[in-house]
Amino acid sequence: MSKYAFIKHVRFFGLVATAIAAVHPASVIAAGVSAGTLIQSTATATYTAGTMNGSVQSNTLSVKVDELLDVAVSSLSGSTTTIGSNQVVLTYAVTNTGNGDEAFNIHVDPAVAGNQFDAVVQAIAIDSNGNNAYDAGVDLQLTNHNATPSIAPDGMVRIFVVVSLPASASDMQTSSVQLSAEAVTGSGSAGTAYAGQGTSSTDAVVGASGALAFANNDLLASLAVVTLTKSANIVDPFGGTQPVPGAIVTYIITAAVSGTGQAEGLQIADVIPTGTTYQNGTLKLEGASLSDASDSDAGNASASGVNVNLGTIAGGTNQTVKFDVKIN
Amino acid sequence: MRKNLLLLGAFIAAFHAPSVLAQAASPVELKGDVKLDKIVVQNGKEQHILSEPKIVVPGDRLIFSTAYHNNGAMVVKNFVVTNPIPEGVTLASDATGLLEVSVDGGKNWGRLALLTVPDGQGGTRPAQAADATHVRWTLASVAAGASGVLAYNAIVR
Repeated sequence: MSKYAFIKHVRFFGLVATAIAAVHPASVIAAGVSAGTLIQSTATATYTAGTMNGSVQSNTLSVKVDELLDVAVSSLSGSTTTIGSNQVVLTYAVTNTGNGDEAFNIHVDPAVAGNQFDAVVQAIAIDSNGNNAYDAGVDLQLTNHNATPSIAPDGMVRIFVVVSLPASASDMQTSSVQLSAEAVTGSGSAGTAYAGQGTSSTDAVVGASGALAFANNDLLASLAVVTLTKSANIVDPFGGTQPVPGAIVTYIITAAVSGTGQAEGLQIADVIPTGTTYQNGTLKLEGASLSDASDSDAGNASASGVNVNLGTIAGGTNQTVKFDVKIN
Repeated sequence: MRKNLLLLGAFIAAFHAPSVLAQAASPVELKGDVKLDKIVVQNGKEQHILSEPKIVVPGDRLIFSTAYHNNGAMVVKNFVVTNPIPEGVTLASDATGLLEVSVDGGKNWGRLALLTVPDGQGGTRPAQAADATHVRWTLASVAAGASGVLAYNAIVR
């Protein structure tokens, strides 16, 4: 009965219920007032009664603000990260968009639907020194599915996920690595309450995010494939091409590097076949002579074999090595 | 308007026994109350569900009300009820039209639309609901035995 009377009076002062309904605050400023804050209200009235001026106070109302469980996750690694034979660091931001100190369980999933390969997770770490770079041995390591330290309301932490390519990956394949963060207190549909489990002796309530959020970082495999082909030209002492004693055999070894990546530390080595003798000073790389000695140039040769260090060769490039032997 | 007020006041009075203590101190009794105002959509219509504010989080709507009751034997005049808006809440922007508010701690009063606040750059800008610091109601008189409720809507910051 008293509620009915209350509503009638609210109407009377022009605050018609249907008019109030128009706007429901979907967004609040930042994370809002902190969990545990007391909202206290006391009304005062002044009046004249006969010749006397009087004043009176109401009781003081006190409402404690409970903890809102909310989180946001975003990708900080740009649109696509290229990954080759070296591991790469993917960066995510986890922001506590709730209003209380909260820790979040971090789940890293490299097996996202649609992946052409699943990256191998090498490490998960929080950027604990805040320098926006992964510092192995310095940044706090996290175990997958375990919690971050407590994050203050509106606080953001960067999380690094170090990944490498699986052996099965091939050039130009794509993949996503997902990081999700879930409030340790609990998650679920908005409005789910966890009585007494909020910070500062409050209840905790799941906010619009469901207290669970995720973001993906995308990977593009960039690999090189090296194909070696070896051929021989023979010039015999009689002007022909027969492999007879005294004939000179020129071996041609071509390293063809294909793919979008690069071949690193590429080295071509070959042994001098039994029954032949290396012809001094005939080692060539891309048509340019290399000295036989082990020195500043890329190659060396001896009676036992030849060796050429090509270093890093980009995909789409061929490198040809030649040397001569004489059939004994 | 006054006739209406008195009528509704009498309605409430039937359910509120006058407090002897309060009567000794002042002819008028004020009783504050706060309700959580949840809006639910049922069959395409928005409905307000009022409840005790057991769980309150940022973004929630609260209705702060002040019930007054003239327990005295004589009429009370120039009756002004002032509610400082508590820290942690903001006046709901959809509830400001007819309210008399202050945006400067209670020094100046008026409808929100007519008030300005410093813009931080040496000038002023129109006041927003979030700028309101106080809300007040002025009743020319409250008859002996009369009562009523004054309320405003707030949103937890």
